[in-house]
Amino acid sequence: MLISLNELKKLTKIALSDAELFDLIGSRLVEIESVEDLSKKYKNIWIVKVETCEKIEGTHLSRCEISCPGKSETPIQVVCGAPNVRAEMLAVWIAPGAIVPATFGGENFEIGSRKLRGFESNGMLSGLDELALGDDHSGIVEIDPAFAKPGDSFAEKFDLNDKIIEVENKSLTHRPDCFGLIGFAREIAGILGEKFEEPSLNFELLPEDFNNKEEVSIETDPTLCEKYSAAVFEVSKTNLKTALEADSFLTTDAVFLVKAGMRSINKIVDATNITMLLTGQPLHAFDYDKFLAVGKTDFPKIGVRLARPGEKLTLLDDKEIELEKSDILITSNDAPVALAGAMGGKSTEIDENTKKIILESATFSLYNLRKTQMAHGIFSETITRFTKGQPAAGTVPALARCSALLLDSPEKISALKVSASSASNLAPISVSLEEINSLLGSTYSAEQVIRTLDNVGIELLEKSDDSLRFKVPAWRTDLKIKEDIIEEVGRLLGYDNLSLAFPTRSFKASKTDEILSLASSLRSLLSENLGFNEILTYSFVSEALLKKVNLDPENSYKIINSISPELQRFRTSLLPSLLEKSYENLKSGFKDFTLYEINQISEKSFGLDEDGVPVLKKSLGLVSINSSFYFEKAVLKEIASFLDLDLELRPLSSHSFFEPLRSAEIFADNLPLGVFGEFKNSVLKNFKLSAPVSGLSLDLETVSNLLKNKKSAAKTLKLSRFPFVSRDLTLRVAAETPFETLEKSLNETLKNERLVYELSPVSIYQNKNNREGKNISFHLSFAAENKTLNSAEISAIMEKITKNLAELGAEVV
Amino acid sequence: MSNLESLKLELKNLGKEYAKLKTLEKTERKAFGEKINQKKNELLKKIAEEEEKLESGALEKIDLSAPFGINESPISFKKGTVHPLSRELALVSKIYSDMGFDVIESRQLDDEFHMFESLNFPAGHPARDGYDTFRTEEGFIPPAHTSTMQYRALTRFRKNLDAGENIAVVVPGRVFRNEDVDATHEHTFYQCEGIFVSKTASLSQLLGTWKNFFETYYGEKLNIKTQPGYFPFTEPSLEFLIEKPKALGGNGWLEMGGCGMIHPNVLKIAGIDPEVYKGFAFGGGIDRLVMLKYGITDVRYFESGKLEFLKEF
Repeated sequence: MLISLNELKKLTKIALSDAELFDLIGSRLVEIESVEDLSKKYKNIWIVKVETCEKIEGTHLSRCEISCPGKSETPIQVVCGAPNVRAEMLAVWIAPGAIVPATFGGENFEIGSRKLRGFESNGMLSGLDELALGDDHSGIVEIDPAFAKPGDSFAEKFDLNDKIIEVENKSLTHRPDCFGLIGFAREIAGILGEKFEEPSLNFELLPEDFNNKEEVSIETDPTLCEKYSAAVFEVSKTNLKTALEADSFLTTDAVFLVKAGMRSINKIVDATNITMLLTGQPLHAFDYDKFLAVGKTDFPKIGVRLARPGEKLTLLDDKEIELEKSDILITSNDAPVALAGAMGGKSTEIDENTKKIILESATFSLYNLRKTQMAHGIFSETITRFTKGQPAAGTVPALARCSALLLDSPEKISALKVSASSASNLAPISVSLEEINSLLGSTYSAEQVIRTLDNVGIELLEKSDDSLRFKVPAWRTDLKIKEDIIEEVGRLLGYDNLSLAFPTRSFKASKTDEILSLASSLRSLLSENLGFNEILTYSFVSEALLKKVNLDPENSYKIINSISPELQRFRTSLLPSLLEKSYENLKSGFKDFTLYEINQISEKSFGLDEDGVPVLKKSLGLVSINSSFYFEKAVLKEIASFLDLDLELRPLSSHSFFEPLRSAEIFADNLPLGVFGEFKNSVLKNFKLSAPVSGLSLDLETVSNLLKNKKSAAKTLKLSRFPFVSRDLTLRVAAETPFETLEKSLNETLKNERLVYELSPVSIYQNKNNREGKNISFHLSFAAENKTLNSAEISAIMEKITKNLAELGAEVV
Repeated sequence: MSNLESLKLELKNLGKEYAKLKTLEKTERKAFGEKINQKKNELLKKIAEEEEKLESGALEKIDLSAPFGINESPISFKKGTVHPLSRELALVSKIYSDMGFDVIESRQLDDEFHMFESLNFPAGHPARDGYDTFRTEEGFIPPAHTSTMQYRALTRFRKNLDAGENIAVVVPGRVFRNEDVDATHEHTFYQCEGIFVSKTASLSQLLGTWKNFFETYYGEKLNIKTQPGYFPFTEPSLEFLIEKPKALGGNGWLEMGGCGMIHPNVLKIAGIDPEVYKGFAFGGGIDRLVMLKYGITDVRYFESGKLEFLKEF
């Protein structure tokens, strides 16, 4: 929202410097996003009289002499291409050395003196577009001689020595009053510690039982429209001129609107917008005769209702829209004439033939308007205000104010009608000084609190020993509970004035969620010990990506308002994203790397949790380029020993992206923890990767639970202080004998002998020409827990080992 | 006889000298003993040097200035990396944990109730639009703020209050907003939420606590200021700013996030009596902390998976 500082100063006294005021607004009212100093933008621009004007033959240009007393005592020659330039008119002259306002802050084009068709042209006579006051480029701006005289500063006459504050709307979501200059100025007074003088609105006391000379009926649904007021009156011809058309004079109203980011349409529409900018209450004007014609009635039968299925309406911007069932319509005898709160209809638009208008000032359900806003993409100044919940109490005063801008007497209003509204009485709020000070951590006195609130119209109704009762002003529909009052006290007196404190706490140690801790340990293992790289990728992926790894997109949650098809599905696995990023990194020249990610995944088949929301699983995904099953197995072994978990691997009968012959499922305590191995060649091809690429996927939720349950069992250390015996053992076995059967046998034997030992595989060898058998070598070192083993005992152990292995068909060589 | 052998023989002979001690007058014994000891130490040192020489003599001299040996491959240890966002989340969580906050993680799929209703957003209220939320076909919401965990944190730790303790929880996590991505906007980013409830929680405690966090994080004293804000789930609601730390070059203010006193309705929905207990909550972005810390100018790097970026950390 754009706010003119000059307009604020007209409404309340401001003794601070502008910079101090902006700081104070920022800390006590709303964040200021930017401040534009218009005095710089409109510097050295003058109102001048065109004294002579001659066409330059063979061109569209005119050679003009202008007078600008004070700036130059002699006539100044300017060449002008506008069709409407003529002698005697008052125009706006951008003097040499001035920056063309439309380029201000951008290219900062400085106008100079130059020759055009052999004639010296000094500065330029300006159109609306060059002045950055509109889009019109059809001619130069003309100034009313009754309003200004040659030599006047343009900025001074049109109130452009002003600063425009842009504030952040979002933090005023609950403050409809601040969307009008009066409300904003009231807050300025409040934060300055001054009592705000409420401005008088003309025709302010329009009685609701107005002496109606003609019949008007209003039928509303109070749930859609709490209050609807309408005035009917005749308008003069001059009211219909567009202030910005080339044949009319530039007005201060037009400039006022531009400063607020709007534009002039005609005097009637401008009056509604000016009133809205002042009070925050949007208004709308209908052409009276068109209104009757659409409704085929002889007096206005105004209705407010929801749209019906299939209904359509052409809006002022010429677009025909299909109405939604939540859209609120203004109707003339049931025929739609406007999309309430959003935009008027084409069929009742004010035009140059309008003789009489129906002026509307009403409130509409912000819940419906929110849907309208979204459904039709209308984000006008009007709907922005309505969706903040403008109070019903503001409708009639705004109607009076707007009528006064168009009429010189309330007598000229021929009918005023106000829908019967449930007089919304805002309940007074009681709060104790103790409650205020304890919530804020402040030491304010009752007097300070009362005065601060009174400054912005929150009057004290009653003061008792332990309670203050405040009246809620009509424009503060957001004040409902005592915390709202406490917020006002804290804010108006400045949060930054509070002294800082700490909560008290016990010495109880804080706890970090186990899965977060687990993820953190795994990161240090994988990155610091194993040299892998952690990446983060989007939680949303494309259906195509899931299909590349043969995962069913229908098992993933679909985002209905996704930014693009690339981000449409909540991922069911981390591995596809890792494969994708692996390819990109290979392309960038990196080789032999491992990428991993620890993040949440979900799939529909996980079901919902006790809160009724999808079960999410924290997962570890890992992809190693140019690595085999055994590499990933070694990684898994590192993880298992790091976490002190006993893992069991089971063969995989089928998998969507892992090659079953070269992967395995990971179990612990009979719980499935994940899968690892090499990717299928067909899958790798989809990612333009070449084999071998291995990967691992681990469910950290289950791992964390296993670790939690393990904690109770204290670890018994197996150490021996007696000498270790080392032996190398090479076994000749049949090619199909699984490694693990030999390993298992060795472990069992050594355990049965109550030895402290270390068993490490050294080599697995097969002669290329004889694939029937293979040699597996182990390095073995062992010691007894309680004594030095003698050679007889060592031989006995080795014999047992040999014998047990022989049972498996393994021959010690 | 080698040099070493003769030294060893000399040492052996010296041992015999000790026998002479007994033959000397008591007064002379001390001086004699010291003399022999000194000689023995000298010999031992020489022997050690000779032994060292002998061992090294078997080795070829190498170029100590070379990075690796002749005919050997260059030596390198693979350097892995933890994602800078993970690292910062861990650091931030650690500081809060040290301050006494429990740490739980935020969810990446949630619903209207947790994202809005339990946070005092009336159904259909336009304030919900400010969050640009994504939605699934089923109406689930990838949350737009970590406040989506407030209700869970309050109900899960409510028992603390019954035990006469406080609720103190922080919730780091990934959040989502439906907005177009550019150098300063991401649809996927990280936040950390803080929640504190006690009988005496106040706004001045909130400001003191959060200021202390940032001072610990940046390792220096900081000035803070606030701006009034609007969040349906806090009352009063504020935006929190810190003066740019010297570590980041100082000068100017940094918006660090929103905060406020937990709205009584939010406490009530979570089964906590707002007449007895008060709470404060705060939340801010993590990505920006990392960007400021390392001078990263494009937020898109974070989710890019680019090793050339990650290897910088």
